[in-house]
Amino acid sequence: MATETGARLGLEYRDTNGFGAAQGGRGYYLPVDLAVRSDGRIYVLSRGDAIQGGNGIKITDIDHNWFEEISSRGIAPGQFISATAIAFDASDRLFMADEALHRITIFDADHNYESHWGTEGSGEGEFDGPSGIAFDRDGNLLVVDDKNQRIQRYTPDGKYLNSFGSAGDGNGEFSFPWGVTVAPDGVIYIADWRNDRIQRFTHEGKFIDACGTTGHGQGQFNRPANVAVDDDGNIFVADWGNQRVQAFDKDWNFQTSIRGAGELSKWAAEYIDANADEKEARSTFDPYPELDVNDPHEVSARTEPYFWDPVSIALYDDTRILILETGRHRFQVYEKV
Amino acid sequence: MTTAARSGTDIELIAHLLRRAGFGATWEELQAAGDLGYQGTLDLLFNPGDPESMPSDIIRRYHPDQSITQIAPSSGSVWMYRMSTTKTPFEEKIALFWHRIFATGQTKLIQGKVMLTQIEMFRQFGLGSFRDLLVQLSQNPAMILWLDNQDNHKDNINENYGREILELFAMGVGNYSEQDIKECSRAFTGWTIANMPYMSIRMRNNTLRPYGYVAWQYKFDPEDHDEGEKTFLGETGNFNGDDIIDIICKNPATARFIARHLYHHFIADELPVPQWPFEGPKDPGAIELMVDAYFADNYSIGAMLRAVFESEMFKSEATQYARIKSPVELVVGTLRLAGGFDWPTADIFKATAACGFMGQALLAPVSVEGWMGGDDWISTGSMVQRINFASATVGDPTKKGIKSIINQISDRHPRGLVTPKALVDECLELVGSLRVEDDTKEGIVTYAREQGDIDPRTDDGVDKIVSVLQLIVSTREYQLV
Repeated sequence: MATETGARLGLEYRDTNGFGAAQGGRGYYLPVDLAVRSDGRIYVLSRGDAIQGGNGIKITDIDHNWFEEISSRGIAPGQFISATAIAFDASDRLFMADEALHRITIFDADHNYESHWGTEGSGEGEFDGPSGIAFDRDGNLLVVDDKNQRIQRYTPDGKYLNSFGSAGDGNGEFSFPWGVTVAPDGVIYIADWRNDRIQRFTHEGKFIDACGTTGHGQGQFNRPANVAVDDDGNIFVADWGNQRVQAFDKDWNFQTSIRGAGELSKWAAEYIDANADEKEARSTFDPYPELDVNDPHEVSARTEPYFWDPVSIALYDDTRILILETGRHRFQVYEKV
Repeated sequence: MTTAARSGTDIELIAHLLRRAGFGATWEELQAAGDLGYQGTLDLLFNPGDPESMPSDIIRRYHPDQSITQIAPSSGSVWMYRMSTTKTPFEEKIALFWHRIFATGQTKLIQGKVMLTQIEMFRQFGLGSFRDLLVQLSQNPAMILWLDNQDNHKDNINENYGREILELFAMGVGNYSEQDIKECSRAFTGWTIANMPYMSIRMRNNTLRPYGYVAWQYKFDPEDHDEGEKTFLGETGNFNGDDIIDIICKNPATARFIARHLYHHFIADELPVPQWPFEGPKDPGAIELMVDAYFADNYSIGAMLRAVFESEMFKSEATQYARIKSPVELVVGTLRLAGGFDWPTADIFKATAACGFMGQALLAPVSVEGWMGGDDWISTGSMVQRINFASATVGDPTKKGIKSIINQISDRHPRGLVTPKALVDECLELVGSLRVEDDTKEGIVTYAREQGDIDPRTDDGVDKIVSVLQLIVSTREYQLV
């Protein structure tokens, strides 16, 4: 597992999209997930907080166009308290998971609230903190049922089908799993968060293999949050606690690791241009100051270009990957090379 | 099954120690400490193991706002989790002590990340040499921007930090001259942060844009450091900040000043600090005890406190319950009594906010002088907040700690019925060996008599136990430590 090979996949920084928008409007605040719709529009789940706000699903595209935002904080239908994940079905309906309300909310392709389902509990059809969601190859929804340590499968209208997994650190067991991804070949990838590994399962939920041990070396993880897989089977892991993204080939051979290289986005540059005092002060800004700390979280807190809490990854037209950072309210765009 | 419980003077003394060096102990914690004895418990305080507090990854995942700690409720709550769940509360008490003395506020600094880094520094250095602590403090980015040392330049000094390190942090008024302040300030020129102009203006503009706050990094700028000769407290040389701190630390006034702060925080309420230049300490003997320890052990704060905790003065009746709990002591102590937190919850914000309502907002001291403490903690409004918070917290029988008290009472009375006096006595013991005045106790017993004998195995019995606990945490004595 996680061995090195000759010809490696590379990732080159291309762009940054985002802006800290705690009071709402263009930008994100504490975003936790993103998803790309069939027309290329990018939906960012801005979880926000209970005090400042910034809560909603914000819609942009790869060229920094800003469209609108939907949903907001609350318990009414269509709202959320602690949203964790979003995913589109084949009809571009948008599904959203909420770990506080223990429910899945559905918006139609025009963003109208359609329905929601789910209740708190540990029985069939119940959740204790739904965290990640993804559609399987049959169009059914996989829900990572975080604190119940299992993956549940539902029809899109909320009918329980089956589940797999239980608490533990053995094969097919989980410790507070977070993100789920279904690869183009139908294989299910689970970010087994507190076991510091990624597990793979067949479409039916049978354990295939796992990659990762606790640590900060190549192929090691510190609380991985999410996974993306491209058409060639290359695997991209949001290594949340190590504040980096690691890439592997389909056999888990390590390819590359990136720490982030964020620059001023279009929106950020417009803000700086409009504020003369900050623009002048930023002209001498060294984004990579010499630091006296090693802890990745602390290093990211002090280094603006670096990923800070990289939480989600999405493929964009299979040539680029979008890496969402909760701490910096943005996503960085990397291209496969 | 009845549990053989430790009680008596030893347990009361240990309870006293753990109220002062921590946030109070539960009955179970007191029983374990009783096995070690007073000295063994004291040794453990100074050699703590893993805090085993709520893991930071858990907090950060389920409270993303507490990962980046942009706003004070978030950063304050990170600390609240630590205080209410740690197995090593002495570390937190020390951090809280220095937070009161080196009062730094997120209200000005805007970002919480640097505040929490400062608190972590207090944990690491708070019991060590005062010299090392002052060096760390002087290089701490939160302190640098709090007292404007980024604007302290070799050609144009800013005296803010130079003044406060002498007046508020180390020596106290009357032990230095205005010229000493200028010379001290000159020595700290060039002690700044990386990217100072941009970081400084973003703080001034209070903006998280474009990508949230960038936590600050200490930087020494030799180009902006005054290399000239300085005369400070009678000594002359090309002093840097470290040299100034050496001179400060060897001055007896420093030892006395810190000793008086320690007395105020760990022994008994003192006069407000502004009165210290005019009124001597309450207990000069206690101050001398700590001063001797300070000089005997390389300016060690830990040695000063150990000398106190081992003294008969500290163990005396007069010292017990001689301080008014600070709001944080009250909130954290009550949370811990009720069992703390097992998992992230929105209740943490309520606890953090409660401290503010009572007059001690974490990471947001009222001024550079910190909180005065003592009688200042108590007002009509703050008393209502104190009683409401404590009563609501212990009023939930589903909380782990309260459930444990109920079970303990139930175990002690296998046949069910508990008399009013026995119920009150046991509740006072089970909240951490709380001693109350006779008339206070009589009042609670009178209330309990009105309820009649209770059966702790019934819902009605549980309700009555809980109501007695609520009365106990509403007493005058529960406000004291």
